[in-house]
Amino acid sequence: MSEGADDKAPLPPRVDLATAAVLLALGLGVMALAWRMPTFVEQSGTGLTAPGIVPGFHAMVVAVLSVLLGLRAIRRGALKPGGAERPAWGKDDARQLGTAAALGILYAGVLVGTLPFWLATALFVFGFTAAFEWQLGPTGRLRRLIEAALLGLATGGVVTLVFERIFLVRLP
Amino acid sequence: MNNPITMLGDGFAHVFAGGAAFHAFWAVLIGIIVGALPGLTATMGVALLTTLTFTMGPQVAMLVLVCVYVGAIYGGSRSAILLNIPGTPASAASTLDGFPLAKQGLAGRAMGISTLGSWFGTLFGTLILAMFAPSFGEFALQFGSYEMFWVALFGIVIAGSLSGGDPLKGYLAGFLGLLVATVGQETNHAYPRFAFGNPDLAGGLGLLPVLVGVFGVAEVLNAMRGPAARAVSAKIDSVIPRIRDVTQYWRTIFRSGALGTFIGAMPGLGEDIAAWTSYAAAKRASKEKELFGKGSVEGLMAAETGESACVPGAIIPVLTLAVPGSAPAAVLMAAMMIHGLNPGPMLAITNPEFIYQIVAMLVVADMVKLFYGLVLVKPLLWVLLIPRARLMPIVFVLCTVGAFAITSRLFDIWVMLGAGLVGFVLRELRFPVAPLVLGIVLGDLLDKNLLRGLVLTGGDISPFFTRPISMALCALTLLAVLWAIPGLMPRLMGVFRRRPA
Repeated sequence: MSEGADDKAPLPPRVDLATAAVLLALGLGVMALAWRMPTFVEQSGTGLTAPGIVPGFHAMVVAVLSVLLGLRAIRRGALKPGGAERPAWGKDDARQLGTAAALGILYAGVLVGTLPFWLATALFVFGFTAAFEWQLGPTGRLRRLIEAALLGLATGGVVTLVFERIFLVRLP
Repeated sequence: MNNPITMLGDGFAHVFAGGAAFHAFWAVLIGIIVGALPGLTATMGVALLTTLTFTMGPQVAMLVLVCVYVGAIYGGSRSAILLNIPGTPASAASTLDGFPLAKQGLAGRAMGISTLGSWFGTLFGTLILAMFAPSFGEFALQFGSYEMFWVALFGIVIAGSLSGGDPLKGYLAGFLGLLVATVGQETNHAYPRFAFGNPDLAGGLGLLPVLVGVFGVAEVLNAMRGPAARAVSAKIDSVIPRIRDVTQYWRTIFRSGALGTFIGAMPGLGEDIAAWTSYAAAKRASKEKELFGKGSVEGLMAAETGESACVPGAIIPVLTLAVPGSAPAAVLMAAMMIHGLNPGPMLAITNPEFIYQIVAMLVVADMVKLFYGLVLVKPLLWVLLIPRARLMPIVFVLCTVGAFAITSRLFDIWVMLGAGLVGFVLRELRFPVAPLVLGIVLGDLLDKNLLRGLVLTGGDISPFFTRPISMALCALTLLAVLWAIPGLMPRLMGVFRRRPA
């Protein structure tokens, strides 16, 4: 069940230290919020069923484990020179990732709910495909753009038809 | 009526009454395609198809989802053999011998072995499920709130320890998942935790939008990086399996089936661990160790049998304890809840025939998988060649629909986006995702049972440690934690070992 836990090179210890700091802040923050929740002692007779108990416990474990992660990172040299060296993402990787994330947020966060679903979907699929196939060069670009537009329209139409008409699922 | 054979017969009759053949054929096909495409996992497939099953009856919906699950785990082997990229993480072990076989011009034979191994594996696991799930379900009826609390905690700990990678990060991921599950109104006092006055947050973070985000959106982002994969060959030899492969390696098949089912039944481990363990066990016991990694038929058979046997294995704890054995099983469990089939110990009382219906569904799915394994070779090769720039936006659209459809709230789409981003970042930081998902799924179980137990005892925590089953589960949980501390177990063993005079 290690989906996503792929076999890449180990992270430099300073990244783990930074992660530990963020998680410690999260754990402590949640503990503080849990502490401020009402206890309902009058209703239950015991403070042990207070709403803050369970999240407070989880947050405490997260805080303790993040301290252990931080200490381990320090032991592995996070504070030594070179502790931050990491295999940086390639420029292409970062650009592709940024493009995919930006288009995804634009579609799901802005277009969906603003435009009719089929149109938002057609625009997104066209934009996504065109953006990633643009880099394949000028040869055949026009054909690829036309195919991307057709793919977008087909996806918008088919998804709307299948979900809304056949499976009676409400679309945004 | 309570005769298992009669109930199994009734299970098949019930499943077939719902137009099983039609639904099984299209759902297994979708499963195989989802599994075969690198970047689309079985978990994502089951999560997305859950959306399509909202308006179906519970039995038909479960049949569709079981078929997708079985098909996707099998489908992953296609890309493992032809692309050297596991279609799902479960097929990672299959690349070791599947791809070398394909490079030797034996891609068809490799796919035949994979089909046969997978078919036997699921059948073996289903047999174990049919034999043990009902009696284990009856045993689980003795579990009260105290025991269920420990079951949930044990699931998180075991998934954190063994789901691959760093146990410390595994535990952190598990407890982050548990934290996420606490957002929204709690059951005792209806107090909205971490809602900050927002009514959407007070309703809690939907399980399906979070799972679609972690497994769908994060996978899309991941898939769009790096160079695209290419198939090893467009020419395929015969995929008809050879009888000799079965007779020669029957011990490997049974060993891998047993290991796969057992690992499946352990909370949160899943198909990839089952495949790797079966592969390692086969290599250790093999007379042809030197062939492993260079195109060993036995190695491929072991990996495929193990991962496919894990599917029914992972459903055993879902039905008996409401604890998923793998990530796709977690989504399957969420779908069962959506359809009003409350999995867990009470299932043996409220709906005992459902266990046998699941057995019937698994058998139907396995048979359809065998059929497609033998006939669906060329079209799948074509599917594998679809450019990711054209496939991934469609997957993203399906994720968005899947997140929205359950409650028709735009808020759920934002939850999906947030979960996808967090899932992606956690993966980049080498956190295993399985414990995170298990934490989100089990959070409610843990929370409710802890609070219910404390209410029943008026705040006394001793029953959590003194009741016999609770005590055993508590000891198991502690043992799992100690096991994961590097170097501690050998030292402890050393203390008890007699020193030579």
